[in-house]
Amino acid sequence: MDRGHVGRWLLILAVTLGAIWYLIPTYYSFFVLPRAQRNDLKLLQSKLPRWAPAASHRLNLGLDLQGGIHMVMRVDTQTALQKRVERRGLQIVNYLKDQKIDGVSYTSDPERLMLTLKVSDPSGLERVEKELKGFEDFARVGRTADTLTYQLKDTQVSRFRDEAVDQAMLVIRRRIDKWGVAEVDVRKLGTDSIQISLPGQQDPEQAKNLIGTTAQLEFRMVDDKSTFFRDLVAKHPPEADSGIRLVHPNGYEQLEGKDREALLAYARQGVPTDREVLLQCVTTLAKKGACDSYLAYLVERTVPLTGESLATADYTRAQTSNNFEVNLSFDTQGGVEFGKLTGDNVGRYMAIVLDENVNSAPRINERIPNGRARITLGSSIGKTDEEMRQEAENLVLVLRAGALPAPVITGEIRQVGASLGDELIRKGSLAATVGLGLVVVFMAVYYRNSGLIADVALILNGLLILAGLALFGATLTLPGIAGFVLTLGIAVDANVLINERVREELANGKTARAAVDQGYDRAFWTIFDAHVTTLIAGFILLSTGTGPVRGFATSLIIGLVASLFTSIVVTRAITTYFVHGRGAQVSV
Amino acid sequence: MQIIKHKTNIDFIGKKRPALFISSVLNLAILVGVAIFGFNFGVDFAGGTVVELRFDHPVRAEEVRGRAQAAGLHDVSVQGIGSSSDNGYLLRLGGVTQLTPESAVTAKQALEGLGGITNLHTDVQNGLINFRSAQKLDADKVRQAITASGTGVKEVRDLGAAQGGGEDYQVVASGMAERITSAMAKGLAQPDFKVQRVDYVGPQVGNQLRNKGIAALLYAMVAILVYVAFRFDFKFGPGALVAMVHDVIMVSGYYLVTRREFNLTSIAVLLTITGYSINDTIVVYDRIREEMHRYKGKPLPEIINIAVNDTLSRTILTSGVTALSLIGLLIFGVGEIWDFAMAMLVGIIVGTYSSVYIASPLTIWLDERAARRKAAGGAMKVRAA
Repeated sequence: MDRGHVGRWLLILAVTLGAIWYLIPTYYSFFVLPRAQRNDLKLLQSKLPRWAPAASHRLNLGLDLQGGIHMVMRVDTQTALQKRVERRGLQIVNYLKDQKIDGVSYTSDPERLMLTLKVSDPSGLERVEKELKGFEDFARVGRTADTLTYQLKDTQVSRFRDEAVDQAMLVIRRRIDKWGVAEVDVRKLGTDSIQISLPGQQDPEQAKNLIGTTAQLEFRMVDDKSTFFRDLVAKHPPEADSGIRLVHPNGYEQLEGKDREALLAYARQGVPTDREVLLQCVTTLAKKGACDSYLAYLVERTVPLTGESLATADYTRAQTSNNFEVNLSFDTQGGVEFGKLTGDNVGRYMAIVLDENVNSAPRINERIPNGRARITLGSSIGKTDEEMRQEAENLVLVLRAGALPAPVITGEIRQVGASLGDELIRKGSLAATVGLGLVVVFMAVYYRNSGLIADVALILNGLLILAGLALFGATLTLPGIAGFVLTLGIAVDANVLINERVREELANGKTARAAVDQGYDRAFWTIFDAHVTTLIAGFILLSTGTGPVRGFATSLIIGLVASLFTSIVVTRAITTYFVHGRGAQVSV
Repeated sequence: MQIIKHKTNIDFIGKKRPALFISSVLNLAILVGVAIFGFNFGVDFAGGTVVELRFDHPVRAEEVRGRAQAAGLHDVSVQGIGSSSDNGYLLRLGGVTQLTPESAVTAKQALEGLGGITNLHTDVQNGLINFRSAQKLDADKVRQAITASGTGVKEVRDLGAAQGGGEDYQVVASGMAERITSAMAKGLAQPDFKVQRVDYVGPQVGNQLRNKGIAALLYAMVAILVYVAFRFDFKFGPGALVAMVHDVIMVSGYYLVTRREFNLTSIAVLLTITGYSINDTIVVYDRIREEMHRYKGKPLPEIINIAVNDTLSRTILTSGVTALSLIGLLIFGVGEIWDFAMAMLVGIIVGTYSSVYIASPLTIWLDERAARRKAAGGAMKVRAA
């Protein structure tokens, strides 16, 4: 064997071993873990040997194969935008009143997101227009003798749309976290949709609760004087391995724990009837979105103020202290209530609660009479600038989600029962096995030894596709199995091309070795072109397709690449090895 | 073993006229058929609700349909799925929400009966009713009023105080899936079935999915053509394109004639067929290119005939083997996967046919036309001189 051949064999060996290595997490997740915990990545990682690939490199089963719910929700931003325009109209009229301009009324055109202001005295129009320069989210689109028409700017509309989707996603994530489902995927789809995958989830009622109800924002008082948590820990010390402990991060007693359900069950023992325990999800920047631990708050049961009264919320950076500040303003009625609430509770803490999750609990420093509040985010030591900015952004998102929730509409639901999934796996793998078996037998009969070599390549090809899917942490779906079967057909195709070519060369009177060399050389570009064109179709499927189609495209692409390798490199190496000697025969 | 002997000498090119004629007529007929009858779009594209039920005892399709009709669901389509011992049925309804143009009218009247209702808008597509009430309403009261009028209610949302006074509300109607399952279980103490699968696609999402699918098909065709033009002589491009379009139309014809559901999987089939069709064509073109170098000076039709004959065994074998791998899917596949395998099989057969009878003759025809033009151009020049 010359050096080129040694290199080729080493490559084949390395690829084969690599493929087997990458299938280790998949093997463990299917055959070592109990079925119910198949999706538990943490558990899988703990079971895996040290030298194995990370648990994330495992072959995932699609929702159609393991059962679960796939949903696409559309955020109805139009309704929310219309309300915003109307709200703005009132704000403008009130602002003008503050500036001593009276007699201005407004009408709104919800379809086109327009506001028309009418002045009773046409001579005042100039002044109104001048004053309104400050309202930068609207552009003037029309003017008559006594009216001014403004339209919400396109940049504002798209910004608002993005925000509305972010808010809805935040609400959905928080709610999912409450159920403790491990493997949930929530992602943005297009400009106004959210895709949610709940593998293994069987209860459509629960899924509906996730998105069916609008978010509830509440302002509730924290009971910072109570010794309830301290007494609880003294009376019923938490189990050592629960990790629950008494902490004072905010100047009053709280409980901290890693497990949501356990902490809630523990902290709620013997709560006074007029009090309630709510949790805050503590996140770290490293693990964005996921809760690192939970903090329990003891709050009063009465809800003095809800998000309905909140008009606007945004954040700025304070010039003096460099801290981030979140500014909120309430509507007229809300402002009165907020003034009373703050006046009665100076020095206490007010929890901002969205969907029963505490987001933060700022201290009330003074009575806030005009309905305009400012929350200064403390510069906790150890937090980076970016972390603080995100904290401010997150708070604003929570406030807005509660203040002006954009209704969410179900766009698409696909729900598959677990028993159907099992059946599909069985039938799918049976179909793949039968297809593969038929092809293997045919090749061996038709091309004899060369057919057997092609069969070896084919089986390696199957292994490589599975390993490839595992390597990319891809998801195997039912259409994916179909793609898998089809690629096996294409892989054989390549071998047929080569063997037919070799036969032709032999028929032309070439020696075995020359026929093999020429056959492979000549078939190479044909195979290459044929694979590339199908790959093009595959990539376009992957980039434009959704759901089931993507699964098909993924296995098709991985399969084509594997097929190029096995037909051009692997079978050639084996065949060349057999025809190496002088006077060797090739059996085609 | 050999099935097709080497050095066949069939005059494929001589039969190009009848082949082209038959194919053109078939293609035209399919296009006209699509325009008149349209596809049987699945919920992916048309929007709607599909519920797959499995009964715990043998049930006939008429019985399932009867139960649906007894509960007032008249336009539900019932289709058996899987083997008969599975007792599985697919129930499909066009709508996704219980709010229809008719029920919207009664719901509207029911709401107006509450008094002080203004700005009432119904959105039948999304199953929403928005309205403003002069005073705060009890959500349960609203729910009861609308449910009594015949529309199931999923939620009554309080959208907050309106600026001009009053309170805004939004009513979300229940989905069709619940209506189907409750219709099936009507009058039974315990449902005698299990819900295996629910697919619900809203009309807007459906349109989006369809447009995206068609766009993907067009992009793929253009990208593949660019590749062929880059790798081969440009005169091969049109032949390959026509063969590809031919195959896509023929497979669409399969969906048209069998009335099988045309959905996302169908788009995947069509895309794979475009790839496969060109794959087959390339095998032949590749050989034509090779023979052109070998027999310089021979007329193109003759070269093409030699190339097609030489590659005949591999053209048939490659298609045959790919078809072989689909047999498992055809035996064990259910529903969508069986459809996938069957449509692929049709695609493979027409793809093989088109690379022999469509792509190559077209290349000859274009070549001859170009030659005639050149000759005519030459003659003009002579006359001018």
